[in-house]
Amino acid sequence: MEAALWYVLSGTRGGPNRARVLRAVDERPRNPNQLAEALDLNYDTVRHHLDVLADNDIVHASGDDYGAVYLPTDRARNNWDVVEEIIEGLEQP
Amino acid sequence: MNTLATAAQITVGVNLLFLGSLIWVWVRNYLALRSKHTLGMLVFASLLFIENGFALYYYLLDPDLSVWFSTQVPDIAWYAMLSFHVLEAVALAFLAWVTLD
Repeated sequence: MEAALWYVLSGTRGGPNRARVLRAVDERPRNPNQLAEALDLNYDTVRHHLDVLADNDIVHASGDDYGAVYLPTDRARNNWDVVEEIIEGLEQP
Repeated sequence: MNTLATAAQITVGVNLLFLGSLIWVWVRNYLALRSKHTLGMLVFASLLFIENGFALYYYLLDPDLSVWFSTQVPDIAWYAMLSFHVLEAVALAFLAWVTLD
């Protein structure tokens, strides 16, 4: 888990934005529209990042309809020290 | 013109392109995150880039070795060296595939 987590956040082209998405849903669960607005990203970009994070079991959707909110998984929370190490380098939003 | 020598040069050139794109991603991520993980990958890719740069230099530019490689190296040796370059290209292609996501 730890290797997948840090590669997805710090090794991939979309990594820094995925780290911002993860930090935002950790503050409070949000849907893709709210994330797009809060992070100043395109809606489709946010959807893509959420899909990659969900594929790697880092976030999951609560509810499965259009307005579903996303939040960190238990696995991500159990490795939150790794997440902190990566997001502490990010600029504040 | 030795076809195997040309194939080796092209494969090394492809490796440099893959490594260049990985370095580009990891430099940007390092500037955004200052994460030691990103720095580790950046150093790794940079050293492999230098390795392939040296290979291309010896194959094409070095005044003594480029002549030797293009005229004196038998096919059986080229097959062996080409297999290393091709395996590295496949490895880098997969790494680029997961990284450029």
